[in-house]
Amino acid sequence: MSSSASLKSTYTPAPVHRYRVGDKVTVKRTFPPGHRRTPQYIRGKQGVVERICGTYPNPEELAYGFDGLPAKVLYRVRFLQTHVWPGYAGPANDIIEMEIFEHWLEPAAT
Amino acid sequence: MTNTTHDYYARKSSDHHDHDHDHDHDDHKQPNPANEHDNGPPGEYEIMSRAMQELLEQKGMITAAQVAKRMELFDEEFPYHGAQVVARAWVDPAFKQRLLADGRAACAEMGAMLEAERLIAVENTPEVHNVIVCTLCSCYPRALLGMPPTWYKSRNYRSRVVFEPRAVLKEFGTELPDSVTVRVHDSNADMRYLVVPMRPQGTEGWSEVKLAGLLSRDMLVGVTVPKV
Amino acid sequence: MKTLPSDIGGEPAGPIDTIDHGMKHWERQANAFRSVVQMQKITCTDELRRAAEDLGDRYKDMHYFEITTSAMRAVLLEKGLFTEQELAAKMAEIRARFNVPDEMESPIKKGAKK
Repeated sequence: MSSSASLKSTYTPAPVHRYRVGDKVTVKRTFPPGHRRTPQYIRGKQGVVERICGTYPNPEELAYGFDGLPAKVLYRVRFLQTHVWPGYAGPANDIIEMEIFEHWLEPAAT
Repeated sequence: MTNTTHDYYARKSSDHHDHDHDHDHDDHKQPNPANEHDNGPPGEYEIMSRAMQELLEQKGMITAAQVAKRMELFDEEFPYHGAQVVARAWVDPAFKQRLLADGRAACAEMGAMLEAERLIAVENTPEVHNVIVCTLCSCYPRALLGMPPTWYKSRNYRSRVVFEPRAVLKEFGTELPDSVTVRVHDSNADMRYLVVPMRPQGTEGWSEVKLAGLLSRDMLVGVTVPKV
Repeated sequence: MKTLPSDIGGEPAGPIDTIDHGMKHWERQANAFRSVVQMQKITCTDELRRAAEDLGDRYKDMHYFEITTSAMRAVLLEKGLFTEQELAAKMAEIRARFNVPDEMESPIKKGAKK
């Protein structure tokens, strides 16, 4: 994955977090009902932690009128487009990034 | 737009002194945006939205003045903040560093208070081009760019830009060589995003105001790039 | 598997209309109203998003502010801030204020698809 200076992350500490910037992670491939902010297309995909955004109330509970506490650690994860989309038409260096809460992530197998 | 010879809203304006919700009315000011109307008869959702506002006003939970003020900000202030912030970043490297490190705090320096918790400013470079989408809804830095344009909210943009960003960018007239990494950001949770485009050559010595005039909303979402 | 109607990233879709068509007045009101309701902590973004997703199959046929307005209605009703009857009465009052003839009444009320 590119390590170009222009892609350098800013690190925002969360008091306790399971993953560090640069860790390989896999988004859980699970399809529970309810309000989820993890798009389907990224579930099961492997990426690298780009930054730690901090802790935020859990949207999956906020959505139903609860306070979403304790807050969850939110990461930004970077994925290679050619990995996310089989048949991706662009060059191999294209990337996509998004925010994934810690409870949606697992350590990558490799 | 529906054509109609009946001006329902004109009728409302003429008798609105009878209605307590028009307490902001002031003949000497610009028209209160809360009292302006589209042409044609109001649709069901318009009536529903207005009814909900009035019910919450009656319960003392919100005021018509708050809504009118918000409309004014969305129209007259928010759409201009993004360009002002980026123009500042172009002329002031220290500010740019602060913007990239903590977008929300940097914007606050310039009086732009974001609704969202955090703003991630991403910088275009000769190696990387950034483009923003929210596939799940239409998350957008409204206090910096105003309301998202129609296309940003559209199914076609939300569906496609994640898996064929180069094709989508081309539809906006933006073609990038394969040597440039296209970096798509799906704004799917609590962060909001702002693209900091590359300052075009030929703008040396330009004032911040003149530079801001070069910047369109589309550039700050990353679908187009500034040129002179 | 069941997907949320809003979760459309990666679906094939047509060309982008790159022109901004702006907002109607009522959409500006709906937007400002939503903004105020959230600032007053009456509801939050995720509740409104979830209520939009609850529209299910209707979601894809509705315009953006129709979705957000429907979501607002659902959430405010859920919270007991007004009843269906109160809302219906207020809407009738506003309709009368605007003097909307019956034939222009709600497609929803008539049970039409859209």
